[in-house]
Amino acid sequence: MSWLNKQGVARQAPSSNRRPVPNGSGRRLALWYGVLLFILAIFLARLFYLQIVRHDYYRQAALSDQLKEYDIPASRGLIKAHQGSSIVPLVLNEKLYTLYADPLFIKDAAGSAAKVVGITHGNAAEYEKAMKTKDSRYQVLAKRLSEDQKNKITELKLPGVGTQGQDYRTYPQGSLAAQILGFVGGEGKGTYGVEEYLDKKLAGTAGKLKAITDVAGVPLAASRENVQISPKDGSDIVLSLDLGMQKQLETLLAAGIERSKSPSGSAIIMDPNTGAVRAMANYPTYDPAQYFKVSDPNLFNNAAVSSPLEVGSVMKTLTASAALDLGVVKADTSYSDPNQWKLDNYVITNIEEIAGPGTHSLTDILNQSINTGAVWLLMQMGGKTGEVTQAAREKWHDYMVNRFRLGKATGIEQGYEASGFIPDPKDGYALQLTYANTAFGQAMTATPLQMLTALASILNGGTYYRPYLVEQVINGGGQAEAKKPEALRTGVVAAPVGETLKAIMEYSVAHHSFAKPFPANFSVGGKTGTAQIANPAGGYYGDRFNGTYLGFVGGDKIQYVIAVRVNEPKVGKYAGSGAAQPLFGDIAHMLINDFNVAPRSGG
Amino acid sequence: MRPRRSWRLHRGTDRDVEPASSIPDGTSRRHRPDYAILVLTALLMVIGLVVVYSISPGLAAAQNVSQGYFITKQLIDVALGVVVFGLAAFWPLRRWSRLGRPLVIVAIVASLIVMFTPINEVYPAHRWIRFGNFSFQVAELIKLALIIWLAGFLTKQWRAGKLADARITLKSLIIILLVTAFIVAKLQSDLGSTGVMVAIIVTMAFSVGVPLKRLALIVAAVLGVAILAIASSDYRRERLVAYLNPSVDCKGSSYQACQALIAVGSGGLFGLGLGYSVQAYGYLPEASNDSIFAIVAEKFGFIGAGTIIVIYGLLIARLKRLIERTADQFYRLIVVGVLAWLSTQMIINIGSMLGLLPMKGITLPLISQGGTSLVFVTAALGLVFHISRYTSYNAKEPQNDATPTNDSFNRRRFGRAYNPSFTSRPRA
Repeated sequence: MSWLNKQGVARQAPSSNRRPVPNGSGRRLALWYGVLLFILAIFLARLFYLQIVRHDYYRQAALSDQLKEYDIPASRGLIKAHQGSSIVPLVLNEKLYTLYADPLFIKDAAGSAAKVVGITHGNAAEYEKAMKTKDSRYQVLAKRLSEDQKNKITELKLPGVGTQGQDYRTYPQGSLAAQILGFVGGEGKGTYGVEEYLDKKLAGTAGKLKAITDVAGVPLAASRENVQISPKDGSDIVLSLDLGMQKQLETLLAAGIERSKSPSGSAIIMDPNTGAVRAMANYPTYDPAQYFKVSDPNLFNNAAVSSPLEVGSVMKTLTASAALDLGVVKADTSYSDPNQWKLDNYVITNIEEIAGPGTHSLTDILNQSINTGAVWLLMQMGGKTGEVTQAAREKWHDYMVNRFRLGKATGIEQGYEASGFIPDPKDGYALQLTYANTAFGQAMTATPLQMLTALASILNGGTYYRPYLVEQVINGGGQAEAKKPEALRTGVVAAPVGETLKAIMEYSVAHHSFAKPFPANFSVGGKTGTAQIANPAGGYYGDRFNGTYLGFVGGDKIQYVIAVRVNEPKVGKYAGSGAAQPLFGDIAHMLINDFNVAPRSGG
Repeated sequence: MRPRRSWRLHRGTDRDVEPASSIPDGTSRRHRPDYAILVLTALLMVIGLVVVYSISPGLAAAQNVSQGYFITKQLIDVALGVVVFGLAAFWPLRRWSRLGRPLVIVAIVASLIVMFTPINEVYPAHRWIRFGNFSFQVAELIKLALIIWLAGFLTKQWRAGKLADARITLKSLIIILLVTAFIVAKLQSDLGSTGVMVAIIVTMAFSVGVPLKRLALIVAAVLGVAILAIASSDYRRERLVAYLNPSVDCKGSSYQACQALIAVGSGGLFGLGLGYSVQAYGYLPEASNDSIFAIVAEKFGFIGAGTIIVIYGLLIARLKRLIERTADQFYRLIVVGVLAWLSTQMIINIGSMLGLLPMKGITLPLISQGGTSLVFVTAALGLVFHISRYTSYNAKEPQNDATPTNDSFNRRRFGRAYNPSFTSRPRA
């Protein structure tokens, strides 16, 4: 660049001829200059090494930091149910925010914590500790912040503090039907109830985003390696529940349980002609919005489908129906009852009220709940009075398991459904005694729902409909898929068997005392059960019973079947008639009064 | 300190075009400046502007400020830099010789003020005087003041032939060194800038011709101070350990060093492209500032980063050439100081980005965002640009040929030919 100086220096006088004082300055400058150039050369070499030789290594290192794979959350489906003629939501989504800290970017932990606490009302010391966590880029400080709180925190512009949106479930109807619904846990997974059973459908399919992101994980738009797959939102679900009925059932159940000083109980109302569950309740229950505050996980269970217990005398309805269907007894058959059977060296007897041997009818067996009568019915199936033969056992077992589907889960849309237990007719110890017990509902277990569905299949003329709670599934695109009643078996019993049983159960209601009589133009029938509770140590407790009740309400046609179970009531009388039966009465009245039960046409 | 004004070279008018008779000893007439200095300076500033512009959105997002915040700030700083460069390039050169002491006083006052201004929670050090949106980094002022004052002081000692004098020169230099180190390293906890200042002092002393034995004493003092500084601070020890063993703690104390290497290495030959830096999005701390070289390397690859090093090399070459041809010791030393400043700061910055030196919070001159640094560096380069108007045609060392008092004798040399050989030169 000597041109720069051409003009100016042309006139320059040549250097003075006086002797220069050698101070080595020029050499020193050259040395320094040399060192600088040498350093620059090292820099270039180092650049070459890092950028060309080691490029692949650093590219990988960069991607492992920068390229992140994200799920794009799909919006979870809503859960709705009937309210009169309209369909209303039971479960909605609400966006709440998780507050987190990236300790790497926190500049002033104490100050930031103090500011944030002013908004979240959390613990400043804990926040500060989390913000100072080493070797972590993500520390959750608080969950479930509202939109408002989130905005306030964003306004603070604190370095290293961020929020993340997440869908949470809200429950406009409060704790209504909580155990049917289940809840969505912290990781977005449906737990218990419909949420668990239909988790996949409700959850939808998360989308995927593979993207170069900034350090906070926000994808950069200007990246050439981004891949995006859109999420598929979850399906909405319409339950068969009638919320008005559900609300009343929960109220009645709670009152009935309290009244009988029982710790817990369940009740179900079902349409016998479709298998649709209209209401199903357990007591006690919980608030699904506050599921994380529940300390006893048993509260999450829908006991009506997940808790199989010995059912007691309500079983006699099924035993009688099997005997009728087999033709070994007729509606008007009478027999001579010895009031006790000795089987496998044990004696089976009746309650005191039966008062000794006598001649009884089929109706008496159910109405008076004669255990020896139920055993007599079972014996008739094998054709040998006085002995529970293998043939009798096998026939009974066939009816209970293959036709009434006891011992098998019904497949209702609930998490943790239990299948109950029916003893094997061939293998086992003291089978005659065992089976004599099963005939009146001991030594076997079933859930209230199993018993109710079995009863419905007899009363509706012989079709076993799978019980269901989910009526419609509406996918993310808005297409509704209506679920049709699913007949698992037709001809479970012949139609006249249902008629006979209906008449006997109506007789039984008519001959038991209810606090309030039922209007004559309605058909109300039922059967009590008082189940002895098995002692885990062997045998049965002498003083602990569960009260059960199976019944129906209708006119010409049975409209609702009802199951009630009251666990260990502390009432003076038998648990079935003392605790479960009054509750059934309340429910039957409620249905007749408020839910358009069609009365008998001729009546 | 007792005022000694004998080293003052210029008196009289402040016009920068001066009558030949007043042009100081050894200085040639005014001619065209070295435009290469201007061009290279402008080039580096433009590169900085482009890079800051391209990462501005990412930085803005990370710090919750408006999209244009960083680029606006940088544009203002560059505009200030241009103005300051122009002022320094046209402001009467002689006046600089009188500025040494006032600048030092201002620097000391600023160093006092900065101790009383509240520190920022993001950068907890007493380095910046803040007023409103503006912040002023005192260390940059100290660097300039140091150069001007030291150039005057050394010129005086040189003229008096006392460079080897332990009592005056050496003692003064060591005191200056310790005072600067105490203020900048200890009070402002800015070891990077301290390094630059030490380099300025040592290089100027070296360049003016302080005997090597004396220099060795200075260097010993420097080492002592450095060891003390590192030993006295936890984070410096951490950084040193991180430097010696970078792969140990990529998430902790080596985080910036690791991320800088990733940025540089992932750039490859041609870089990811102007708009495609990822490391600037929060991975690499101080992306627009201390770490900007790594971002350049990521965006423009070996080609781009290499080009920057070459541009600095050219600037160094131009300044070296200017030093060689500046016969006036005072101006020459100013250029030496400015070159020491630029080159040391550049080396510390790039060296740390390339994993060759420990991390230091120091800007890359002219490219990094950081207004104070930019303004003072452009001021210094404007001054150097101005000095480049007075080079001689050949490389020429300053001549200590007379006692400072024979001023009139010296001046005569330019006024009229006194040298027989000169007057009797054969004419074409």
